[in-house]
Amino acid sequence: MNGALMTVAWLTWRQLFARRRAWLAVAIVVLPFLLTFFYRFASEDREGDRLVFLMNLNRDLILGVLLPITAVIFGTTAFGGEVEDGTLIYLLVRPVPRWQVVLVKFAVAALVSAVIVAASVLLAWFALRNAELPPAFAKGFVTATLVGAVLYCGIFAYLGLVTRRGLVVGLIYTIVFENILARNLPGVKFLSVREYAISLAQWAGGDAVKWPAPGVPMTTVWVAGSIILAIALAATMRRLGRYEMAERL
Amino acid sequence: MTIPPSVIRVSNVSRWYGNVVAVNDVTFTLTGGVTGLLGPNGAGKTTILHLMAGLLRPSAGDVLVDGKPAAGDPDLYRKVGLIPEREAVHDYLTGFEFVRACARLHGLADADAATVRAIELVDMAGPMNRRIATYSKGMKQRIKVAGAMVHDPVVLLLDEPFNGMDPRQRLHMLEVLRDLGAQGRVIVISSHILEELNDLATNILVMVAGRLAASGHFREIRRLMTDRPHTFRIRSNDDRKLAAALLADRSVFGVELTGDGIMIRTGERGTLTRNIARTARDSKVRVTEIRPTDESLESVFAYLVAR
Repeated sequence: MNGALMTVAWLTWRQLFARRRAWLAVAIVVLPFLLTFFYRFASEDREGDRLVFLMNLNRDLILGVLLPITAVIFGTTAFGGEVEDGTLIYLLVRPVPRWQVVLVKFAVAALVSAVIVAASVLLAWFALRNAELPPAFAKGFVTATLVGAVLYCGIFAYLGLVTRRGLVVGLIYTIVFENILARNLPGVKFLSVREYAISLAQWAGGDAVKWPAPGVPMTTVWVAGSIILAIALAATMRRLGRYEMAERL
Repeated sequence: MTIPPSVIRVSNVSRWYGNVVAVNDVTFTLTGGVTGLLGPNGAGKTTILHLMAGLLRPSAGDVLVDGKPAAGDPDLYRKVGLIPEREAVHDYLTGFEFVRACARLHGLADADAATVRAIELVDMAGPMNRRIATYSKGMKQRIKVAGAMVHDPVVLLLDEPFNGMDPRQRLHMLEVLRDLGAQGRVIVISSHILEELNDLATNILVMVAGRLAASGHFREIRRLMTDRPHTFRIRSNDDRKLAAALLADRSVFGVELTGDGIMIRTGERGTLTRNIARTARDSKVRVTEIRPTDESLESVFAYLVAR
């Protein structure tokens, strides 16, 4: 990556952690870890309980809530922060092709989101690890969060560019589409990033991650996930390519 | 730095947003030196600057910078620097970090040296390591100028650059811009105050309601603006007598008794204001109020359009 793109990445990084978002990241990392303490104090911790508790924690809290929320916050901020405060113009008047700006900003947002959520997975696993919870368990969920963060950030970076209410729209999408429709309508889960993440956890975790119900087939995850990401990135590049700084009339 | 003879060519350019016409069939050519883009708020100055900066595409017509269409070519920005009107800068960066980021985005070989040079040019070396959030409005303007100048552009477009600057900062900035213009760079400065461009811009483009209302040398534009017809409302203890006396004044070409005073029209504002006192004294009339009625900026510009 050349110096100009490194600077786009650095500016995005600074933007992502401006306005106390660093504290939000810390809270997201620590929350599941704190819940494992409640579990240890409040439960009898019989054989098999830990596995069930951590499976549910990972599926319902981390993959279902923290992953999309983290991606909404950091994905929409990749462009939304600069659109909102009017500093995007300083990036657009540089000799850097706009499609490259999109790729770099998306990559930084995805990486930051993935690292934050993966850290929360690892900390929670570390607190409860035993024979039932081998490293493969953590590996499964870390893989799920990494791929999930990439897909979500592709979608949310676009939202941050097209609407000033990207955060709100992203949260509504997460609640309505990912957590209500995809869970209750069988066909919709084939388009749900959360469902892809659950399948990925099982695929990467092997025997360590066991779901009672079958997930989305891995072929669908890879093909549909790639198509969703490609469409989201292409739409963001097209949008930024045609982005105009209009006078407020 | 080689300056081509005709750097910016705007030909029959219009730009509209839905039903709103922001710029309407504007044509001009700019070469080296400082040009003032004058007009009231909402006249289309920012739209014209953004069209020249390639940030907007014209709805009709062509905007060429150095012979190439301005929009859609990132390489344009190797030659062009833009200082936007909006105050926003990356508040979480220091002044130095901001200017250095601009230098690196341009891929400059020695970004740090270029940064220091640009910061010294705008006299911001002292506070350059403070966060921009702590800067005054004038300091933010200057650091924006440094960011736009860091790559040594041939064309510099400044949107209301003097907003928020104190008199000392303004003088310094005038000096910097005058020097840059004297080097043959194309400097375009938008403003809604003619006097702000005094001693700086030799060439003035006057925009009103999206149209190019007038263009020419600074002195010519100022003469047009001062020698236009002016209307005054005068109140006195004997309006009828004063009106009769003022009719004899050659600088007055219209007198009307309105019931609550006199409305007079003149083409020579300075002469009239000097003569009123003498005429009133000679007629033994006591003047209680003299008020110009059409001194708003809009009316000045409206005159230029109607001319």
